[in-house]
Amino acid sequence: MEKVMSRFMELSTDPYAGVAKWKEDTGKKIIGCFPMRIPEEIVHASGMLPVVMWRGNEAVTLGHSYVHNFNCGLTRSFIDDVMKDKLDFMDGMIFYRSCLQAEEIPSTIELNAPPRHFLYLYLPPLYPGAVFRDFLIQQLKKMKENLEAWAGKEITEDALNNSIEVYNKNRSLLKRLYELRKRKPGTIRAREMLAIVHASMLMDKEEHSKLLGSLLPELEDREEVADGKVRVILSGGLCQTPHTAILDLIEEAGMVVVDDDIYIGSRYFANEVTPGNDPLESLADRYMKKTPPDPTMGDWKTLWSDYMVDKVRENNAKGMVSLLVKFCPPHLCYYPDIKRTFDKEGIPEVMIEVEHEVVSVEQMRTRLQAFVEVIRGGA
Amino acid sequence: MVQEFKLNRLETTRLMGPMVDKHWKELRTAKERGEKVAWCSGVPFIFAYAMDMKCHFMAGYSAYCAGRKAGEHVLEIADSTGELPDTCSYHRMHMGMAEAVKRGIPVREDVVLPIPDLMIAGRVCPEMSHYAEALYRKFGIQVAGIELMTPYQESDYEFLEPYLERQFKEILIPTLEEICGKPFDYDHMREILRVLKKTATIRNDCLEYFKKVPSPWTLWDYGVSLAPVIYLMGKPETIPYYEKLRAELEERSKKNIPAILPEEKHRVFWDGWLPWGFLGHFSRKLTSYGANPISGRYPWEMFPRPDLIDPEGDPVHTFVKALYTGTMLGNNMAKPGLSLIDRIIPEYQIDGLIFFTAKSCRIWKSQLTILEKMERKYGIPGLCLEADMADPKMFSDAQIDTRLNAFFEVLEARKEKRRWV
Ligand code: SF4
Ligand code: SF4
Repeated sequence: MEKVMSRFMELSTDPYAGVAKWKEDTGKKIIGCFPMRIPEEIVHASGMLPVVMWRGNEAVTLGHSYVHNFNCGLTRSFIDDVMKDKLDFMDGMIFYRSCLQAEEIPSTIELNAPPRHFLYLYLPPLYPGAVFRDFLIQQLKKMKENLEAWAGKEITEDALNNSIEVYNKNRSLLKRLYELRKRKPGTIRAREMLAIVHASMLMDKEEHSKLLGSLLPELEDREEVADGKVRVILSGGLCQTPHTAILDLIEEAGMVVVDDDIYIGSRYFANEVTPGNDPLESLADRYMKKTPPDPTMGDWKTLWSDYMVDKVRENNAKGMVSLLVKFCPPHLCYYPDIKRTFDKEGIPEVMIEVEHEVVSVEQMRTRLQAFVEVIRGGA
Repeated sequence: MVQEFKLNRLETTRLMGPMVDKHWKELRTAKERGEKVAWCSGVPFIFAYAMDMKCHFMAGYSAYCAGRKAGEHVLEIADSTGELPDTCSYHRMHMGMAEAVKRGIPVREDVVLPIPDLMIAGRVCPEMSHYAEALYRKFGIQVAGIELMTPYQESDYEFLEPYLERQFKEILIPTLEEICGKPFDYDHMREILRVLKKTATIRNDCLEYFKKVPSPWTLWDYGVSLAPVIYLMGKPETIPYYEKLRAELEERSKKNIPAILPEEKHRVFWDGWLPWGFLGHFSRKLTSYGANPISGRYPWEMFPRPDLIDPEGDPVHTFVKALYTGTMLGNNMAKPGLSLIDRIIPEYQIDGLIFFTAKSCRIWKSQLTILEKMERKYGIPGLCLEADMADPKMFSDAQIDTRLNAFFEVLEARKEKRRWV
C-alpha cells in the first residue's frame, strides 16, 4: 500500500517529473486543461493525456513581469512556470474563462510563449435556456475537431464512449474512497486524500483506477482513529491545491475531515456522465449539472451556501473550514453569503486564506485551535 | 523654475452634470410614478429602455456614485455588512446598497437605488452573476441571465454574435414581455438606436480632435461625456450635447487653443478604467506634468462603429453586430486590445503609456505584456499604476506620486527615441 500511496504523493508534490516521464514512456502527447470545467474525456479519447494545470511548487519570480502580484496563486504560478520553461512537456493547452483572472492566462501565454497547440474555449454559465446548452455543444465539437488535428486522428464515437466509461469508473472509485472516509473518519488523512484526487488529474485514468482499486481494500483495513476529534468538512479551494501543511494543521488542531467540497476533492469527481445517443451531448449534460454549485458558473438559483449547510448536516459534521484562495473573486464574492448562512444556521465556520507563497503557519494554527475550542465549548 | 500647468476646461462638459443627475433622479423616483425598474450589468439595459422601464447600469451607476464622492460611503456600508475588501469595488457598492435597503440603513439620498422588479444579469464576470444571486436571494427578484462573452480574438465574433442574439431573443425579450405585460417594443428600440447612431457619429468627429497637436480636449473631458453614448443612449438631448461639443472643439482647434495651459507637454495613453472616484485627483496629478491623456481603451469601447448600426432593420441583430463586430465588447481582451493600442499610438502621437490597473477588477487583460510590447515597438515608456476605480483603501497616493514622477522623467529623456515619428 505504501508504494501506491507514495506514488500518488510524489506525483501530487512534483507533477513535472511524473507527467514528463509518462510522456517519455508512452511517446504520447500531454494536453494541459485549465481546472474545473473542461471535459477531459474528449482529450482522453484522442489518445493524448489530459492533465489538469496545477499551481507550481516554487515562488513566483519571472512570472511577475507578466502577471500582477494580486492575481490568485494558480494564475501567477502557471504563467511563471511557462515563462521558466518548466512546462515544455505540455504539447497543448486548453483554456476557458472561469473568472477574469483565468481569462488572463491564455493571452499572456499565447503572446509570450505559445505552446505547440493552443485552444481557447468559451464555456457558458448555467443560465436557464436551451441556447446555453446548444452553445456548449458547439464548443465541445470545436474542441473535438481541434484535438483531432493535434492528434492527427479522428476521435470516433466509440473512443468517446470508452473514455466516458473510463472516467466514470474512476469517479465511482473515488466516490467509494470518500464513502470509506465517511464511514471510518481518520483512516485516510486529508493530505492523502488530496494526493489521491490530485494524482487522478495528473495521470492516465485507467492506471489511476487500477492503483486506486488495489489501494481501497487496504485502506479498508486501517483502524479508525477519529475518537474525540471534531468532525469537519472542507470547502472552497477553487482550481488549486491547498498546501498540505494547512491540511495537517487542521488535523493537528483536533479536527477530522469527514468530507469536502473542494475542487481537488469531491468537486472533481462529482456527477458521472450518463451515456446516451451522442457522447458530446452526454458530456454537455454533465457540465450542466447544478450541483455541486460552482461560483464561476453563474447559476443564481442553486445556492452554494445552502448546499454546504446540507453537506455539513448530512455528514453530522460540527463545523466547516473554508479554504479561501487569496485573490479568488468567485469565492470572495460568495463568502459573505456563506458566512451569514452559517451564522444563521448556528454552524461554526472558519475561513483560512490560502496563499501561494507565504503560509503563516503559526497564525493559522492559533485560529484553528480557537475554532476547535469554540466547537467543543458549544458541544 | 518649475513650469505650472492648468486644465483648460471645456464649456460644453458643464452641461453633462445636470443630464446625468436627471437620469438617476428619474430612476430613483420611478416607483413613485408606478414605473417598472430594472438593474442591469452590461449593455442589455437598452432592452429595458425599449419597454419604457427605468434601468440602472452597473458600471454607469458605480461611476456616478463614485464621481459624486458617495462611493466610499456605500463601500463602508458594504464593509460593515461583511463584504470582503478584495472583491470588485463596483460589486461591493451594489452589495452594500442592497443590504442597506434591506436593513433600512440610511444611504445618501442622491445615490440611493430603488429595489428593482427585474435584474438583468449581463454577465462578464462571476461578480456580476453573484450580484444577481444576491438580489434573488435577498428580495426574490426575477433574474434574466445573459452572458456577454468577451471575445478572445476577432475571428470568434462569427459564433459569438448568434449566441448573444439568441439569448436576447429567447431569454431577455420574453422576460421583459412577461414583466411589463406587453409585447416587446421593437420600434422603440429602433428609435433609441437611431439617436445612438447619430450621437456616436458626432462623437467620432470629436475623437478626431484628439489627433491634433496640441489637443483641444482631454480624456477627462471625454470621460465626463461618456453617458450619452452609453446609458443615456436614445435620449434626444444627447445629440445637441455632442453637436455643441464638436463646435467647441472646432473653435478651439482653429485658434490652436490647447486643453492644457500654457502648453500640452506630453501626450499619454490611459489604459484600463477611468478612476471615477478620483477623476479630479488624477487629472490634477497628470496636469501638473503638462500631460494630456488623449486616448484609452475604455472610452474607445462606447459604440466606436456607429456605421454598423442599422436601426431600420432587425434592431436586435444590429445591436449585437455593434457589440462584437463594432468592437464594443472586447477591447479589454489582450489580442483585440493590442491591435487597438498599436493603431492608436502612432495615430495619436503618444509619448507614453499609463496603464491604470484596478486592483479589484481584473478585466483588462495581459496589461503587462501589452505594455512591454508597445514600449519595445515604439520606444516610448510605460507605467503600470496600481490603484482602484472607486476604493481609496486599495492604493497609496504617495506611491503613485513617486511612480508618476519617475515615469515623466523617463518620458522626457526618451522623447527623442520615439519610433512613431
Ligand atoms: S476561480 Fe479563483 S482560483 Fe480559479 S483562476 Fe479564478 S481566481 Fe484563481
Ligand atoms: S470585476 Fe470588473 S467587470 Fe466585474 S463587475 Fe467588477 S468592475 Fe465590472
